[in-house]
Parts: sequence; C-alpha cells; structure tokens
Amino acid sequence: MKTLEEIENLSPEELESKAAEKPAAVPEGLQERIRLALSAQEIVQERRRKTPLWVPFSALAVAAAAATLLILPQRGPKDTFDDPLLAYAEVEKTFQTISEKMSAGVDIAREASASVDFPQTVIDRIQSK
Amino acid sequence: MTIPMKRILFLLAALLLTLSAAAQNGKSIYQKYSDAENVSAVYISPAMFRLIGRIPDVETGDGKVNLSPVIRSLSGMYIINSENAAINENLRNEAERFIKSGKYELLMEAKDQGETVRMYTVGTEKLINGFVMLAAEQNEVTFICLDGQMPRDEFEKLVSEQLAN
Repeated sequence: MKTLEEIENLSPEELESKAAEKPAAVPEGLQERIRLALSAQEIVQERRRKTPLWVPFSALAVAAAAATLLILPQRGPKDTFDDPLLAYAEVEKTFQTISEKMSAGVDIAREASASVDFPQTVIDRIQSK
Repeated sequence: MTIPMKRILFLLAALLLTLSAAAQNGKSIYQKYSDAENVSAVYISPAMFRLIGRIPDVETGDGKVNLSPVIRSLSGMYIINSENAAINENLRNEAERFIKSGKYELLMEAKDQGETVRMYTVGTEKLINGFVMLAAEQNEVTFICLDGQMPRDEFEKLVSEQLAN
C-alpha cells in the first residue's frame, strides 16, 4: 500500500499505467445518472436562453427612471406675486374663502340640529303633561 | 422569466409606486395643473411668507383679524381653481390620492346645492403640518393646500374669527 505522499509524487504517466493495471469497477447506474445530469443541465441552459432580452433591459430602464426621480433636483414653481403686500392680500382672501366654506358646513349642521331638536321638544312637552 | 428576475421586476415596480406616491404633493399637483386652460393658480413660496412676516402691522381691512401668527408659520400655499371640465376629474382624483397618501384627516365635509367641500388637516393635536381644502362643483374644482407648522389653536381661532366677520 502506497502512502499519500508517494502517490502525490507519481508522474501522470505512472498514475495512468497503475490505473490500467487494475481497472476499477464502474458503479451500477452511473451511465444513467450522468445522462440525467446532462439532460438537466441542457434544460436549464435552454430556459436561460429563452428569457427574453427585453426583461433585463426593461428592468434597467425602470431602475434608471427611479434613479432619475430620486437624483434630479425638484424645481419649485414660480411665486405668483412679487409684492409681499399682494401676497398677503391673497392669503387673507384664501382664509376668507376657507371660512365661508366652513360657515356653509356649520349652517347645515345648525339646520340639522334644529330639525332634531323639534321632535325632542314635542316629546318633552307631551311627557310633561 | 426566472424567479429572481420576477422578484427584481416586482421590487422595482413597488419602488416606482412608492416614489410616485411620495412625489404626490401640493407642489406636484400645482405644477401639473397651473398652466392648463381655464385654471387660475396661486403659489406663495416660503421665501414670500418670510417677507410677509416682516411687514410691520399687517392686519386685515377692518383690522379685526390678525393673520400674523398663522402667516409666520406657513411655508407654502398652493391654490388651483379649475373651470376646465377636461381636467376637473383628474385634478380631484389626484388631490384625493394626495390626501390619502399624506395621511390627512377629514376635518369637515359639507354638501350643499351640488357643491361638496371637504377640509383636511395633518399633524398633531397642537400643530397642523398641512391643510387641504377640496371643493368640487359640477363645473368647478378648487384645491387649496397650505404647508407649514401652524399652531392648531391659532389656525382654528383665525378661521372662526373670519367666520364671525
């Protein structure tokens, strides 16, 4: 029996001749397993080949669009007024508008409240008699 | 298509959706619709609000309402008033998406004579970070968006004072 060191020191020709002296037995079903492995590899490669070209390109395009959105500085709109007094007047007008719209809501609520109160008043009167 | 590729595309689509939702704000709506036909638009920048805050003795015409505390706290105002039937629906939908994505809370809703008015705020119990009013009639949509750090009590006081006048 040779040691590992001795085997490592053998030349390729010596290794080849030693192997030819005593042929190793081929495990049962090895050929079938190799055939299956090669077929599986073929299927995987076929699938890879079938992946359409547009997929990686579209992914790149989407990534570029996202990066553009993130990186590009967002320019703000231009001020409508140059004069602070005019701007102030506009703010005041805006608050007036908000108040008017809110006032309309409050009026509706008051009317609804009055409609609810009336039957309650009638019921209270009946009960007090 | 391989599974990792599908995952990448899904992630990118999700990223884009997030970005588009995040990009939706008063400014983006203003920029999109302010130049359209039959649309009047007003934008007041943070710089202009700082200038307004420096005007001495600012007061309203009758001198009863003091806007100064709220004005000093504002950092942007966007107003879009559209009488353009072609864009009204889109404007309303985009404003509603912005309200949803910005986690605004409904402050008030009133429906009267074909007009629906909704007011929303976002912020805390003491501070309003944003106010939106969306008023929609058959042929007209008004979008008002205020950004800033407005003390809630000052804002409510101001609106109620205006209401009383």
